[in-house]
Amino acid sequence: MDHLFLAWKNLWRNRRRTIITLAAIAFSIMLVQAAHNLSYGVYAGMVDSGVRAGSGHIAVYRQNYLESRDETLHFPDRNLITEITAIAGVEEVLPRLYIPALAQSSRESRGVMVIGVDPQRERRINPFLKELNKNSMVRATDSRDAVIGVRLLDELQIKPGQKFVVTAQHQDGKLHSELLRVRGVIKSGMKDIDGSLIMIGRERAGLLTGSSGSVHELAIILTNSDDKETVLGQVSTLIEAHPGIEAVNWERAMPNLANAIKLDYASQKFIFLIILLIVTIGVINTLLMSVMERMREFGVILALGSKPMTLRIMIMTEALMLGLLAAAIGTLLGSLATWYLVSTGIDLAAFVPETLEFGGVVFDPIMRASWDPAWMVKIAGYVTGLTLLASLYPAIKAGRITPVEGMRHH
Amino acid sequence: MLLSLAFRNLWRNRRRTLLTLSAMVVSAALLILALGVFSGMFKDMLASATEQYYGHLVLAKPEYHLRRDLFANLSVDITNHPALMNEPEILARSPRLRSFGLLSKQLSSQPVELLGIIPELEQQVTSLQNKITAGDYPKLEDRNGAMIGQGLAKKMKLKLGDELVFVTQAADGSIGNDLLIVRGVFATGDSRNDNNLVLVPLPWLQEVVVLPGRIHEVAMTLANPMLAAEVADRLTPHLPENTEVLGWGDLLPEMREVIAAYGVSRMIIVTILYLATGLGILNTFFMSVMERTREFGILMAQGMRPMAIRALVLLETLFLGGIALAIGLFCGALMTLYMQQIGIDLTSYITPITYAGGTILPRLHAVFEVANFLVPAGMLLLVSLVAGFLPANRAARLNPVVAVRED
Amino acid sequence: MSLIELKNVSKIYRLGNQEIPALTNVSLTFDEGEFAVLAGPSGSGKTTALNLIGCLDRPTSGEVIVSNLTLGTASSKQLADFRLHHIGFIFQSYNLIPVLTAAENAEFTLMLQKVPKLKRRKIVCQLFADLGIDGLEDRRPADLSGGQQQRVAIARAMAANPHVILADEPTANLDSHTAEELLALMRQLNQEKGTTFIFSSHDDRVISQAQRVIRLEDGRLADDSKESQ
Repeated sequence: MDHLFLAWKNLWRNRRRTIITLAAIAFSIMLVQAAHNLSYGVYAGMVDSGVRAGSGHIAVYRQNYLESRDETLHFPDRNLITEITAIAGVEEVLPRLYIPALAQSSRESRGVMVIGVDPQRERRINPFLKELNKNSMVRATDSRDAVIGVRLLDELQIKPGQKFVVTAQHQDGKLHSELLRVRGVIKSGMKDIDGSLIMIGRERAGLLTGSSGSVHELAIILTNSDDKETVLGQVSTLIEAHPGIEAVNWERAMPNLANAIKLDYASQKFIFLIILLIVTIGVINTLLMSVMERMREFGVILALGSKPMTLRIMIMTEALMLGLLAAAIGTLLGSLATWYLVSTGIDLAAFVPETLEFGGVVFDPIMRASWDPAWMVKIAGYVTGLTLLASLYPAIKAGRITPVEGMRHH
Repeated sequence: MLLSLAFRNLWRNRRRTLLTLSAMVVSAALLILALGVFSGMFKDMLASATEQYYGHLVLAKPEYHLRRDLFANLSVDITNHPALMNEPEILARSPRLRSFGLLSKQLSSQPVELLGIIPELEQQVTSLQNKITAGDYPKLEDRNGAMIGQGLAKKMKLKLGDELVFVTQAADGSIGNDLLIVRGVFATGDSRNDNNLVLVPLPWLQEVVVLPGRIHEVAMTLANPMLAAEVADRLTPHLPENTEVLGWGDLLPEMREVIAAYGVSRMIIVTILYLATGLGILNTFFMSVMERTREFGILMAQGMRPMAIRALVLLETLFLGGIALAIGLFCGALMTLYMQQIGIDLTSYITPITYAGGTILPRLHAVFEVANFLVPAGMLLLVSLVAGFLPANRAARLNPVVAVRED
Repeated sequence: MSLIELKNVSKIYRLGNQEIPALTNVSLTFDEGEFAVLAGPSGSGKTTALNLIGCLDRPTSGEVIVSNLTLGTASSKQLADFRLHHIGFIFQSYNLIPVLTAAENAEFTLMLQKVPKLKRRKIVCQLFADLGIDGLEDRRPADLSGGQQQRVAIARAMAANPHVILADEPTANLDSHTAEELLALMRQLNQEKGTTFIFSSHDDRVISQAQRVIRLEDGRLADDSKESQ
């Protein structure tokens, strides 16, 4: 029996109080776990669509390209694509040329970003092209087919099938133009993309600037994002043979997305912190009340020959049990909530715009959670620790009384 | 009498009351701070779009904002249309001509968006003059002096005094091209502006695109940006046919919806936080009622009605709520003030983040917004009352004979 | 050598700026096996004297020596240990721990002494039988009458087989019949096991049962039946 047994019984001495405190702790654990899992899921979704449309989980660049976006910093990909695709865990490698250019129709001109791609690979991966049927995609790397943003199409006042011209700076110093034909239309929901993106075959793009056979970026898509660091290491080793080229993770390649997630999670953490702070104050209050009303009993226990330390340990054991019980109940509720959020999710369509852009990706209005069990256990542990911490003051206080003082209480 | 009794009762168990009070104060104050910072982010975001580019209200040809059609232009005279001049909400009006084209310097060229402006007027609508990192704002007298974004300057390795060639399609179908001279560089932190936008004097651009005396839009500043939609509605009947005046909410519908959604999430956050706080209050008052069972019995035996007992307990929770509110609002306001005046710079941790058509700057900076105080305040009082209700009921339902016997 | 010795003991309590003398210059000795009562009206210093004898409190001046342990120099840890192994307590208001059953309450000191569970249950069962409360082992204090609770308290005090049992007004909350029964019981234990009993009381019926009567008045020793013999 002993201390555990006694502590357990003491815990239920004032049933209502313990239950209310338990409810407060368990409720906040549930909330924090569910909210975290929801964000975890939403962020994972954002990262997934972000890397597929953007830099990939890992991207390979010429050094300094990332910082300067200087389009002269391209590199010949030679057989890098085949070599990288051979690495375990790599789903696809997307070669891309990024060329700032001017698009002109008979009526209008607009600044655009021409992306030279490998059409087959790109269509399999890029979420912007998901809605596009096979016939609307660029047919070959050297064809004059172009897939362009819906707003850009509108602004240039042209229609699918019609021709337009893009002009860019050729390596030889002259402006060079290419005639293109609208093959497909992208509707990403992001103003920047829809208003300025033109996707063409990489050979055609190469002709525009004289950088045939070169790329600005190799976007590496992984089957499982958890393999990122391992694959990054392998890719880095592989490209050592090509001096001046570097491999970076998506956090570096897409700071906008990484920071959006960071900032969003930081503000969420602040709210978590407030909740935990309030709960801790509540626990201190409960434990202190429970200690204060038992002063006489503590006096008796001390008189019977118990050491102050035994008393302190008993009170802290009570807190530990309260914390563990609350952690168990809270985690159970948190799991239930997560389960609901994973299977059903929250439909925010009524509250957020259809195409809300955040950190460079479109925010899915149906938010779905993902399980992060390690974090759930961690937060349950934290809260148990906080409960134990909250018992320090009451425990010290109880250990400090003398038997005579204690028994005089009431 | 009941009031002073309630007030004194609060301080019978000083430690317990203070702990409960501190939980309430912490939740209210930190909440106010957090909401102030969130509002600050939204304000930065809105400002990045309106004060650095759009303005609060824009007059143009219908659907111009969707297509940016070169030919959807207006006479510059519309800037001084009486309807605009007589609207007291409008503080400033700036006529603008827009052109997209390629900016080249030797081996480097970049697609850009040129805004032809009248410097004195534009400075009253957008605030790029406060973001200049080198050189000066364009001047009308300096015919082809341009101000460019820092991103563009870096990419094309431009410095003040450099000559650039701007190439575009003119309204007469010819290829317009002319020389520009870099006179100033600005940095807003928003990559869309910093990499793309070039400000040039209006007459020069009118000449290049062959649209003399024409503009695309009149951008306006309002005394209260939140009234943009209202002012737009008010102006519409008085404006010429074939024009359209839109508030920033219509130009940036996703931003309007995000700001509306913020109202909802604010309520959710406040509710959740106060649920945890409310349970603490509930606990405290249950304890306080339970240990006074005997006392309530005596009060009832002496003829105090159950309603009065209930009122007494509710008054105690309300008092506690009121005190927490006063301190919480004060501390919250103080912290918000600190964050408004000083704030926290995050530039070394994160880059600007695009969100709903705007940009969140890498800084924590709070703004004062009435709702950020009213919502937590109202909810705190409500929670105190609700949390006091159960214990109050219990006290009121005591049987005096049994209660008096209680030890 | 005597079991307990009080030499010129004074105890002064402070209440704000006031000094309240509870005991003044009291000298007493107790031998093993005594059945003594500290008598006197309330406020005469009985409880203070018991607290000092029970190593719960230290004297302001003078010396208290219990089984060769000098109170003034012992640490509070030593005192706790000493109480645990040598002294049993019985309180006026029983002071049983409400969340524990009768048997668990009686086992409490044994538990603190880390006596194995089976062994302590055996000791307590025997005690309950001796005290006539067998069958009540699993009841909570709240479900016991005052007399039964006090018997459990006696069992708790006896369980660790202490040298001295101190009882502060043990019968004050009981009716006279039960009080007499309990007193007889304690007397019996005193004679059978040789345990020293010292208790305080202001009840003449209790005092008349004692082997030795020590009278206190206003914190001073007024009369000691042993000395006057």
